Amino acid sequence: MNRGLIVFILLAAAVPMLAGVAGLPRPGDPQAPVHAHVAAHYVKEGVRESGAANLVTGVLLNYRAFDTFGEVMVIFAALAAVTGVSSVPPGQRPGESGGRNDSPRPVSPPISPVVAFIIRCTAPFIALFAAFVIFKGHVHPGGGFQGGVILGALLMMLSVVFGRGTRDPLVPPPLAAWLQAAAPLTFAAVAVVGVLLTGYLLGFPGAALGPVRTLMMIALELGIAVGSAVIILGLFQHMRGD
Amino acid sequence: MSQGFDLVMLALLIGMAVAVARSKDLIAAAIIFSGYSLVMCLLWQHRGAPDVAMTEAAIGAGVTTILVLLAIGRTRRREK
Repeated sequence: MNRGLIVFILLAAAVPMLAGVAGLPRPGDPQAPVHAHVAAHYVKEGVRESGAANLVTGVLLNYRAFDTFGEVMVIFAALAAVTGVSSVPPGQRPGESGGRNDSPRPVSPPISPVVAFIIRCTAPFIALFAAFVIFKGHVHPGGGFQGGVILGALLMMLSVVFGRGTRDPLVPPPLAAWLQAAAPLTFAAVAVVGVLLTGYLLGFPGAALGPVRTLMMIALELGIAVGSAVIILGLFQHMRGD
Repeated sequence: MSQGFDLVMLALLIGMAVAVARSKDLIAAAIIFSGYSLVMCLLWQHRGAPDVAMTEAAIGAGVTTILVLLAIGRTRRREK
C-alpha cells in the first residue's frame, strides 16, 4: 500500500479519537459523570458495607462480584483456548517417529548455577510477598490477581530449575487441571454460600457477620490467586514446549 | 513537579515505543518493551493506582516479557 494512503487512514482515525479525548472532563473534576452516580456511595459507605478497607477490593469482590466472576471465567477460557489451539496432536510432535517434522528437538542447555542459586535464595521471599499481597488484599493495595501473578512468576522461576519437561512436571497434570479452574470453582462455592446466608447469589452478609464476610473475601482472593498462578505457569510450560 | 514527572515519563514511553517498533533485534525489542512496562508501572503508582502498578510490574514487565522471549526462541531472533 502506498504511504500517502496509510497516513490518510491514520489521520482519519486519530482526529475523532483526539476530539473524544478533548471532550473528556478534566482528571479529578468532582462534577465528572463518573463521580456523580455510584462512586460517591462507594467512597462514603464502601468500607462499612463491604468490610474491605481497600476500596478497590471492595468493589471488585463485593459490589461487582459478578463482573469479577466473568473475568476469572475469561482468563480460564483463554488458557483453555491457547492450549487447545496450539497443542500438537500426539504422533506429530517433533522427534516422534512418523511425525511431519522429523528434525530432533534441540536439547535445552543446562541451567547456569548462578541463576539456579539466585532462584533458590530469592524464592522464599517472593513466596512470602505473594502470600502477603493475597491475604492482605482487602486491607492494602493488592489482592488475588496481583498476588497470584507474583506466585505465578515464582512458579515459573522454580520450573526453570526444578520440574523440567513432561516426565517431571512441577505440578502433576491431574492436579494442575483442577488448580487452573480454582478461581471459577471458588467463585461458584462462595456464590452458594451467599445464597445460604443472604438469599442472593454472591450475596455478602452485612457487618453483623463481619468475620464470615472477611473469610469469604479471603477465600475468593485465594482462589483467584491460585487459579491465576497455575494458569500463568501453564502458559509458560506450554510455550516452552513441555 | 508532579506534572513534570508525568511529562518525563510520557516522553520516555513514546521514545521506548518508537525504539520497540524500529528495533530489528527482537530480543532487544522485548527487553525495551519490558522497560516500557516498568515506566508505565511508575506512572500508575504516581497517579495513585498501586493495584494497577503491581499488576503492570508483574504481568507487563515480568510474565509478558518471558512469554515473548519464549516465542522468539521458537522462531528467529532478527526481523527480516
